[in-house]
Amino acid sequence: MPAALEVRGLTKDYRSPVKEPGLWGGVKSLFDRRYKDTRAVDGVTFDIAEGELVGFLGANGAGKTTTLKMLSGLLTPTAGTATVLGRVPWRREAAFQKMISLVMGQRSQLWWEIPAYETFRLNQAIYGLPDAVFKDQLEELTDLLDLGEHLTVPVKKLSLGQRMRAELAAALLHRPRLLLLDEPTIGLDVVMQKKVREFVKAYNRRHGATVMLTSHNMTDVTELCRRVIVIERGRLLYDGPLDRLVARYADHKIVRARFTARVDPADLAELGTVTACDGESAVLQVPRGRVALAAAALLRSYPVADLDVEEVDIDDVVRGLFSRPPA
Amino acid sequence: MKKYLVAYSIALQETLQRRSTLLMDRVGGFAVVLSLYSFWSALLGDKPSFLGYTRAEMMSYVLLINVLRAFVFTGRGWQTVSEISSGRISSYLVRPLSYHGYSLALDLAQKTVHVVSSFVEVAVLAWFVRGGVFLPRDPAAWLLFALSAALASLLFFFMEFMVSSLAFWTSESGGPLFCFDLFLQFAAGAFFPLDVLPAAVRRLLSATPFPYMVYVPVRVLLEKVSHAEAARLIAVEAAWLAAFALAAVALWRRGVRSYAAEGG
Repeated sequence: MPAALEVRGLTKDYRSPVKEPGLWGGVKSLFDRRYKDTRAVDGVTFDIAEGELVGFLGANGAGKTTTLKMLSGLLTPTAGTATVLGRVPWRREAAFQKMISLVMGQRSQLWWEIPAYETFRLNQAIYGLPDAVFKDQLEELTDLLDLGEHLTVPVKKLSLGQRMRAELAAALLHRPRLLLLDEPTIGLDVVMQKKVREFVKAYNRRHGATVMLTSHNMTDVTELCRRVIVIERGRLLYDGPLDRLVARYADHKIVRARFTARVDPADLAELGTVTACDGESAVLQVPRGRVALAAAALLRSYPVADLDVEEVDIDDVVRGLFSRPPA
Repeated sequence: MKKYLVAYSIALQETLQRRSTLLMDRVGGFAVVLSLYSFWSALLGDKPSFLGYTRAEMMSYVLLINVLRAFVFTGRGWQTVSEISSGRISSYLVRPLSYHGYSLALDLAQKTVHVVSSFVEVAVLAWFVRGGVFLPRDPAAWLLFALSAALASLLFFFMEFMVSSLAFWTSESGGPLFCFDLFLQFAAGAFFPLDVLPAAVRRLLSATPFPYMVYVPVRVLLEKVSHAEAARLIAVEAAWLAAFALAAVALWRRGVRSYAAEGG
């Protein structure tokens, strides 16, 4: 399958102006600007095939949004190249813009005072969609997103969940081949999150669209993405199958034991980190290399009735990655 | 082109939807005109003319201010500023759309509503003044006035756009915009005919684009200038417009570049 995205050494330094406070400082900095450089994205390289659905993970400030902004053409990189659907995004050619869509969960393109349908009409004109195509696509989206009567109500009267779904519909009317989703389920309740996820999956399947999504919601990632790209402090940390992320980044396994007699948690501490122990059962985190030893020691020295060794939950691994401190 | 027409029609709906904002805007404008009317009535007293304006001409000036405020000075500079500083501008920059064209379409929608409303207000006031209003009989005066006012409206659009673009560089561009709006109305003659000012100030102002936004179109309609002079003034106005349009587009491009370089 041809690559939809080819990203090579993509780097972005933010030149934030060092500005004296106040209005005069602002005017002054218009003529005499001093900058401080911060590297937000640092030599990131990856390919994404057409039709792939990839999770893009990292802690706050890791550089996810900056990368998405470069790939959608909003930001010009400091160094490196990217070809997205055969084009250089930051040239912002109309032909490119018609093939992509960027949805930021915290930003809205809908007109507030009037029904969402009017924004759709505007997007129809902006993307130059013939009436028949517009009608088709609108029907499909209304159906998939369960929008129905919400389209004729002023946007300000919609709930957050309804608004987010209308937002997605507005972003997808022109049937983009690449969808960049930045935190699409942020602020939604569990039911709505599920709806949005199912929709993204269905859209990806139905149209073979490439999807790249960032999310802090673990379920979004585990349910949607088989492949994940993890960045940390602007650098690519991992690129591969989601399940292998666990083997790679969980440096320990979980050992669960049930005992026939009471056991002192303090004694167990020599085997690993005791995360739970009520005397009759215990949960331990044991470094990968010492699992066999720990299991043997448990069986040898304690009244073990039952013993389980498990991989760490994927959510915990990803959560662990997120909680690493940013630069 | 169609996208801008649709934007216009949607913005028209939205302006009408925000009835209370619209009403307050109109009441505010009406209050200005009413106070100007009372002020000039008192000043004129029994005098047949003042500063070269007859009573009827002065009343026309006051009423025209209401129409020109609606037509020239209605803009969405504040929205542009807030869209830039909140980063909402991103959602326009990723779509195949010219923000200038889009803004102009939205501006025109607001202007439409305000101008229609100002016509009604002026009709009411004119009835109140009972025939004491000067209206030219020469169709050329009307034509030249329309041309001058149309250019003034565009001139304001680009000027305001330039000032709003400062939001790309400073988070406090609301300040300049506010000063700009106030100074503009003063220097354009939207509070009083510029004839009130000392000659030196008038000369100074005539070297700026500001008087072309109210004072010049009104004088054209009141036939205070010959057709030839009106044509000359309109040519100068067109030159100002071209200069500001170019500068506004250039500043905007620089702003977008810096936005792309520094992030939003």
